[in-house]
Amino acid sequence: MDRPQTLSRELQAIDTIVAKHKGRHGELLGILEETQLLNEHKFLSEEALTYVSLKTGVPLSKLYNVVTFYSFFNLVPQGEHTITVCRGTACHTKGSRTLLNDVGLILGCSKELQNGESFFTTPDQRFSISTVACFGQCALAPVVAIDEVIYSNMTTAKLQKQLGKISKKGKRP
Amino acid sequence: MDTITVTIKINGKELKVPQSITILEACRRGGIEIPTLCFLEDVSKNASCGVCLVEVKGARSLMRSCITCVYEGMELVTHSARLREARKTNVELLLANHPKDCLTCLRNGNCELQTIAGELGVKDERFVRTKKLELPDLTSLSLVRDQNKCILCGRCVAVCSNVQSVSAIDFSGRGIKTKISTYMEKGLGNVACTYCGQCALVCPTGAIVERDETESVFEALGNPDKFVVVQTAPAVRVGIGEAMGMDAGSLVTGQMVAGLRRLGFNRVFDTQFAADLTIMEEGHELIKRITHKGVLPMITSCSPGWIKFAEHFFPNSLAHLSTCKSPQQMFGAVAKTYYAAKLGIDPRKMVVVSVMPCTAKKYEAKRPEMMSAFEYWKDNRAWSDDDAFYDVDHVLTTRELARMFTETGMQFPALEPEEFDNPLGESTGAAVIFGATGGVMEAALRTAYEVVTGKALTDINFTAVRGMEGIKEASVEMNGTTVKVAVAHTLKNARRILEQIEKGESPYAFIELMTCPGGCLGGGGQPIPTTWDIRKKRAESLYAEDAQKPLRKSHENPHIAALYEEFLKEPLGEVSHHLLHTEYDKRPMLVKHMAAEV
Ligand code: SF4
Ligand code: SF4
Ligand code: SF4
Ligand code: FES
Repeated sequence: MDRPQTLSRELQAIDTIVAKHKGRHGELLGILEETQLLNEHKFLSEEALTYVSLKTGVPLSKLYNVVTFYSFFNLVPQGEHTITVCRGTACHTKGSRTLLNDVGLILGCSKELQNGESFFTTPDQRFSISTVACFGQCALAPVVAIDEVIYSNMTTAKLQKQLGKISKKGKRP
Repeated sequence: MDTITVTIKINGKELKVPQSITILEACRRGGIEIPTLCFLEDVSKNASCGVCLVEVKGARSLMRSCITCVYEGMELVTHSARLREARKTNVELLLANHPKDCLTCLRNGNCELQTIAGELGVKDERFVRTKKLELPDLTSLSLVRDQNKCILCGRCVAVCSNVQSVSAIDFSGRGIKTKISTYMEKGLGNVACTYCGQCALVCPTGAIVERDETESVFEALGNPDKFVVVQTAPAVRVGIGEAMGMDAGSLVTGQMVAGLRRLGFNRVFDTQFAADLTIMEEGHELIKRITHKGVLPMITSCSPGWIKFAEHFFPNSLAHLSTCKSPQQMFGAVAKTYYAAKLGIDPRKMVVVSVMPCTAKKYEAKRPEMMSAFEYWKDNRAWSDDDAFYDVDHVLTTRELARMFTETGMQFPALEPEEFDNPLGESTGAAVIFGATGGVMEAALRTAYEVVTGKALTDINFTAVRGMEGIKEASVEMNGTTVKVAVAHTLKNARRILEQIEKGESPYAFIELMTCPGGCLGGGGQPIPTTWDIRKKRAESLYAEDAQKPLRKSHENPHIAALYEEFLKEPLGEVSHHLLHTEYDKRPMLVKHMAAEV
């Protein structure tokens, strides 16, 4: 175990979460959601999930079923910033594929994009890039969300500007 | 009992059926066949394939008959051009993402998808592939999963959770990404899967199959430097005929032996010999535990899926397991020591192949501790670890043996019956019934009773432990003490028994646990399909074989007596301890590095 202290603190917190939700409606989803928030990278680590399974008696395969079904659960560490490119039909016809490629070029992760991965995080853990099937904002296509703010009629230039702002502001020491 | 009946009309004909049954069931009662694919009686109704569609008068869309219940006055059409088109389209949609690998697929000729596609007249590929190709899961020594061939019927998930209470697999993702997964895609070999193969037994396609070892066995048979012996488990003789096109439950011991000789095995032996040996060891272990206040109840240990289950889920109760190895492993250890010495051949040149109704046996043979013959010889002969060999080299399932027979062009039903070779081919009726749930218990009681009381049994049939009930109980009087025993099959029932033990509430002295429904005759390596009707037929054949054996108690097997006299000396003795007994591991419940932590 590489981080024994943080882990055991996390596990203790899970104990509390499990106890709190016991018997409540939607127990499992509640437990998983709060467990995810415990993690500084906002994801469900294998350790955490295994522990939830031991505490709740829900088989691991079943937990995996649940966390892969709902898109708000993450199984990999999340970057500090999130970029979500809409890949719905309307956005697609307005060039969202190109926008996605641009994100790849700007952040230096074109390779992952070519592999068709729909979610990945840059190695420096600064950005998580994902796609959605549709934001429901088709009139504003193409749409890109950056840190949960939706930007409409997105263009390469606008994208570059926004990402540039974030990069400068949030530079890590 | 549901006595309220409703009147429905199927294809214009009236039929009275109980309320609350499905359309599918109603039609079957009325003698009308509706094609189905994902549905499997007693196992699952996931209603995912849309093959069982019927027209219901007044309904806007076609209805899935496997989940729709009948109601008073319902009018149905089960066969029409519209239905054929709809059913066919649904199968074509499944096929769009299905590799057309039939020619090289283990389920070729025994595949429900292939059959239904043929029956519905699928002729061309109308739809394009929408799913990503996935790599097969090769992490387990027993089974191979190929997600690409999966039609998401959910049968495997249902069996693994409802029958086995293991839940090693479940659906994951959603929409087009839906698939069957192990936890975090770790693969069956890295999660708490018992390798029971019940998932493979119910899978309609080639998406979960046994890990095929036929090529390695053909290779050994073709190698003139090797002395290749084969052992066959009890349940194989009531399964292999079925796999070769004969009636369900056909008892074909003699033909099986003849077929194995044709394949070129140097000796054709019987795992039943080792089953008699197991009874000698296990019976004495039980008596010792009772008289020396050892850990009770003692639980049988011949079913490797059950062993792995206990190691994962009940690691603190392993002391209840008999230390006896399974008959397969006892056979290997005896063949490569006693028998090799008797013949004067180098045990390194001996290849032991077993034919089993079981996929978990493949993994059992490769447990690291199953090299006791090598350990036995190595010091005397100054061998190094490079010479190491397993007690059992290859494990074939009944289905694999059938493939070997077929591939060599054997006319199986026409073979003249032949006898096993001796000495490791002789067995009693007690060993035959090892293949059915309750059989090990009955065999053990036949011997234990006579050893303890010194009296002959008047009736050797312990019928209370026979039959397909999930958990059975019996009491036996021995020298004034009442010994309570229990028999359970499926891991779900095993779990109940174990929970009772862990609560300190188990009233039993001895328990037989088998992983698969019905015992080994319903094993994960048996012919497909295996239904309850078929299981019962296989069981009947085993009990019939037992009844007609001249010797029916393990301790009466003359070759077992000789083995003790010449080699082992006594049950539970020094040699037995090294060759025939074993230990169990606490296995991490789930993910490896967590075990230490929690
Ligand atoms: S699973 Fe069935 S349809 Fe698919 S390749 Fe195998 S035999 Fe053919
Ligand atoms: S082999 Fe048995 S335990 Fe493993 S996935 Fe299949 S049914 Fe479940
Ligand atoms: S693996 Fe087989 S049994 Fe399981 S869902 Fe897929 S097709 Fe059905
Ligand atoms: S058999 Fe009814 S939907 Fe598959």
